[in-house]
Amino acid sequence: MVVVSNAPGSDVRKRTGKRVEAADGMSVPKPDAGTGRLDDFAWVYALYELGQTVANGAEPMRVQQDILEHIVKGFEAQSGSIALLVDGTDDVLAIAAGTDLPPGTVGSRLPCGVGVFGHVVATGQPVLINGDVAETGLPLRLHERRDRLTHSAMCWPLRIRERIIGAVAVNRAPDVARYTREDLDRGQVLTSLLAFVIANHRMHVERENRIVELSTLNATMQRMNAALEETQEQLIRSEKMASIGQIAAGVAHEINNPIGFVLSNLGTLGSYLGQLFALLDVYIDAERPLPAPLVPPLDRARALREKSDLTFLRGDIDALMDESRDGILRVKHIVQDLKDFSRGGSEEAWETVSVHDALDRTLNILHNETKYKARIDTHYGELPEIVCVPSRLHQVFLNLVVNAAQSITESGTITISTGTEGGDAWIRFEDSGCGIPPENMDRLFEPFFTTKPVGQGTGLGLSVSSSIVQRHGGRIEVESEVGRGSRFTVHLPLRQAATPWSVPEDVQAGPRGTPVQCM
Amino acid sequence: MTHLFIVDDEVNVLNSLRRMLLNVAGAPVLPDLRVSVFVSPVEALIHINKQSVDLVISDYRMPEMDGVAFLARVRDLQPDTARIMLSACTDMDAVVRAINEANIFRFVSKPWSDDELKSAIVQVLAHRHLLLENRHLANEVRCQRGVISRQQVELALLERESPGITRVRWTEDGGVLMDD
Repeated sequence: MVVVSNAPGSDVRKRTGKRVEAADGMSVPKPDAGTGRLDDFAWVYALYELGQTVANGAEPMRVQQDILEHIVKGFEAQSGSIALLVDGTDDVLAIAAGTDLPPGTVGSRLPCGVGVFGHVVATGQPVLINGDVAETGLPLRLHERRDRLTHSAMCWPLRIRERIIGAVAVNRAPDVARYTREDLDRGQVLTSLLAFVIANHRMHVERENRIVELSTLNATMQRMNAALEETQEQLIRSEKMASIGQIAAGVAHEINNPIGFVLSNLGTLGSYLGQLFALLDVYIDAERPLPAPLVPPLDRARALREKSDLTFLRGDIDALMDESRDGILRVKHIVQDLKDFSRGGSEEAWETVSVHDALDRTLNILHNETKYKARIDTHYGELPEIVCVPSRLHQVFLNLVVNAAQSITESGTITISTGTEGGDAWIRFEDSGCGIPPENMDRLFEPFFTTKPVGQGTGLGLSVSSSIVQRHGGRIEVESEVGRGSRFTVHLPLRQAATPWSVPEDVQAGPRGTPVQCM
Repeated sequence: MTHLFIVDDEVNVLNSLRRMLLNVAGAPVLPDLRVSVFVSPVEALIHINKQSVDLVISDYRMPEMDGVAFLARVRDLQPDTARIMLSACTDMDAVVRAINEANIFRFVSKPWSDDELKSAIVQVLAHRHLLLENRHLANEVRCQRGVISRQQVELALLERESPGITRVRWTEDGGVLMDD
């Protein structure tokens, strides 16, 4: 029946001041039995405390519900509800908490301007409804019969400064005295506190969300940073490799010229010497039947010949020529390796072959090299034939087995096993050799890095191997322990992506691993 | 007689090739072989302009002009010359250009193997010989059938032996203009 439109904001504030004074003083007598608890300082304090609980990790919806129940109790109401404006809107309300509401109501939305909540939020004025809502004369657009059957109810807007954030309503049971206008005024004071509690609580929630968001963001950034660092490191490594490759190709070109003519000259010199010695033989033969002493020039020739030990010279010249040719051929091979490294090998045919056959061929070739030092155990698993460049793969296997054998000082075992994993074939070479010190692991696949004595390793074996395996779309993994041995695992895709061998890519850094090289 | 030109900016390469090809101690690569070597492709071109050459072997990277440009020029001057490229440069680009632009007969990479190079030279010359023989015989047949005259056949032969001789420039008073 009675609807009181409250005075505007200024009046509210004035009254608020009065009420707070009264509350502080705790001396205001209870106006009536119905709202006695509102003057209880303890009640106000409890409300404030409820608002703080969210900061201690309480679930937000639960806190709103607790606050509402606290208010319902304070107003000695039968039920109550809180509706708040949805974040980012100023005309959509959502039920944030409620007692005695049908399930599913909390969280449901109602447009501004509809119903009691809608009216209060839209106008910013509290309302008191005693009896039939329809009789209030207020422009309430009601849509449910239930709304009309109110015994006594109050609804206040919730304000933070001048901004309305929602509304709170309480209903009294029919057997209790109806609310009065005084109750509405008192409530008005308390709801401003309630608004602060809710706002506070919202801020807490927001802060919590922000913190979660920030820490997620932080974690993402840390991950990205790590990835970036890794990429950068790889980039530096691959640039280093690329420039080594480029230098290698340039150097190879320059070196091939001298190798060419030295090798050719050695061949020509060999045949010149053959000719000279043949001539000498004829002279010696011709001279033999002549009686001594001869004519003086021939005597001198004979003396010189005896002094110079022709037999030795002839034998040693052969050895000298062979060694020189061998040396220059070695240089030629190193340069070839270098070129292979920078280009990833020449244009060779891809074939579908059995890895096990390739391994057996490698082991046959190396039999002499390994038989005194290492026992070779093979544990071949099920492996389909794979598409590869057989001669290149052979080169990789050769390098790894020779390395394994060289890492064994006295005697040991080399275990070769194979298998498949995912879409990859793996071939593992394990040795019981000296192992690789951790500080060398990073440089293992670096060209020219070697720990072998001069003349035994060029430092190209593993870098070439790694570059070959990479061209096959695979990788080499290394594990090693000093004194116990090393384990090299070559992973090769069972199916080749269409990467033609003939198209050279930029040289990329190999996977990290160990330095034992051969060739 | 077979006349062979070798062009490389490195004297040592030229010397070793000449030694190898003219080695009296070993079996001769070709009977009656004459080898001229040049450090400069430009100088080689001047000589090619004046005399008939059977085979030209050239390096790829040279300061004055690269091997492809040089061999292409050689082909323009003497289309019947066999051309071999001998280079330490084995990138696809160089090889493709040498084949497409200079129509080389063989590409031999440095460091070369003497035997391989010798066999390449012999094969290339045999191939060239066959081509020339074939053309000459075809001309004979054409001549017999009256398609071309005996004089044209002779002119073709003369031109092969002395490039430019069939294109003599006469002065007004009946003298012959020479290039140099």
